Amino acid sequence: MTELLECRDCGRRTYYEKRRCPECGGAAFDAVPAGTGELLSVTTVHVTPDGVREPNALGLASFPGGANVIAQLDGELSIGDDVRLVGERALRVTEDGPLWGVRIVAAE
Amino acid sequence: MTAFASADDRSLLDLLLVAAERALGDADRDSAGVDSVYVGNMAAEAFNARSGLANALVGGLGMTGVTARRVENTSASGASAFQSAVAAVASGRSERALAVGGEKMSAADTATATEIISRITHDREYEQGVTLPSFGGLAAAAYLRETDADRRDLSRVAVKNHANAYANEYAQFNKRIDGDDVLASPAVAEPLRLYDCCPTSDGAAAVVVESGSGATDDAVTIAACESATGTHAVADRADPLEIASVRTAGERAYDAAGFGADAVDLACIHDAFTILEWLEMEELGLAPAGRAWERTRDGKTDLDGELPVNPGGGLKARGHPLGATGISQVIELVWQLRGDLPDERAVEGASRGLAVNVAGFGNNAVCTLLEGDA
Repeated sequence: MTELLECRDCGRRTYYEKRRCPECGGAAFDAVPAGTGELLSVTTVHVTPDGVREPNALGLASFPGGANVIAQLDGELSIGDDVRLVGERALRVTEDGPLWGVRIVAAE
Repeated sequence: MTAFASADDRSLLDLLLVAAERALGDADRDSAGVDSVYVGNMAAEAFNARSGLANALVGGLGMTGVTARRVENTSASGASAFQSAVAAVASGRSERALAVGGEKMSAADTATATEIISRITHDREYEQGVTLPSFGGLAAAAYLRETDADRRDLSRVAVKNHANAYANEYAQFNKRIDGDDVLASPAVAEPLRLYDCCPTSDGAAAVVVESGSGATDDAVTIAACESATGTHAVADRADPLEIASVRTAGERAYDAAGFGADAVDLACIHDAFTILEWLEMEELGLAPAGRAWERTRDGKTDLDGELPVNPGGGLKARGHPLGATGISQVIELVWQLRGDLPDERAVEGASRGLAVNVAGFGNNAVCTLLEGDA
C-alpha cells in the first residue's frame, strides 16, 4: 500500500499497522495518500537474507503527518531528495511466493 | 561465564551449566540455597532445536522445587533475565536467585542466523529485507551527516573495543585492529563495514543475586535495574537518531539509584554496531546529543579515559551470544568494581558502573547500575 494510516481521533500518521494509535490510543484509522516525503537517510546493504536482492539499497523517508518509512530504493537517490512511495513491488522471494510492498522513488 | 567464541563445541545446555556453576562458585554458594532461576535466551528453538531450557538447566544442576523460567527479550534476553532475578529478590519472593543467559549461534549458517534475527522486525520491515545492520547503516549515515564526525571517527569505536578485548581472556577476539583494518573490511550496510558490527557468538554467563543481609564482603550492590520499550517499527521514531527505550530505561535507573550520569565511572554499552555506542551514550546522558563521537576521538572513553566505555571489549570484540550478553555486561562491571582484574585491563578506582542491553535496534532496553564499595 502506498497509503499511510491516519488516526481518526488525533490525526497522527504511521506506515506500520497496529491496533492502537501510539499517540492517543485511538482504534480507528483511515488510509490516506502518503504524498511527498523527504529522504532522511540511505544505506546500501551488502549482506541480505535469502530471497532479498543483494545489494539492497534502503532509505528512511519522512512523510507529512509524522510518518517515517524504511523501504527499498528504486533509482539513484540522496539524503534530502523529495520522494514518494510506489507499490506493489515484489520485494522478497519466499517459499510461499513473493512478498509485495512499496519502494521509495524520486517524486515527480 | 564461559569464554565467548565463534564456535564452541559444547551444547547450549552445557554452556549454561558451566556458567551457572562458575557463578555459584564465585559467590561461594551452593545450588541448594538458590530458590529461583531465570534463563535468558532468544532463540534456542531456531538455532539449536532445543526447548525447555530452564527446566533442563535446573535439572542439570540437581535442583528441584525451585521457581524457574526462561526469559526472552531478543538481544536483551540476558539483562531481562537479570532484571527478573533482581525483582524476585527485591520483592522478597526469592531469597537467592540465579540469572543465566546463553546462546549458541554457530549451529546456524550465516543466512539462517540473519533470517532468525531479522524475524524480530515488523512485518512491513521484514518484507523489505531489512536486517539489524540495515538500521545501523541508516542511523550511521544520518549521524555522520548531522554532526562533524567522519567515517574514521566511527572506526575508533571498533579499534578501542578490540584493544580492550585484547587482554580479556573471555573475549571472542584477542586481536588489535587499526582504523585501516576497519575501512578495508567488507561493506555490510554502508557506511558500516564488517568491523563496525558485532559477530555471532557462542557463550553463556551467569550471576547470583541475593538480598543484602547475608551477602559476602566483596558483593557488589545492585543500585538499579530498569527497563523500557521503544517503538517496534524503527521508522515509527520521529528522529532516526533517537533510541527512546535506552533513554527511558536510563532515566528510570538513575531515579531508582539516586545518582545520575555524572556519577558513573564506567559503562558497558550495547555496541552491536559502532554507531550504537554513540547513540546510547547520548541517550544515557554520558555525552551531550551529537557529541559522543568527540569523547571517542579524544580518548575519553578509553580504558584510562574519563569514562571508560566497554572495558571488556563490548559486543564488538567480547562477542554477542544474544541471551548471554546482558549478563556478561553485569559480570564485567562486577569484576571491575571488585578490582579483580589485572592492571592491563582494569579501570582504576571505579565505584559505580552502568550497563545497557538493547533488544533489536531499540525495541526494548534494560539499564543496570551497580555500586562497589571502593
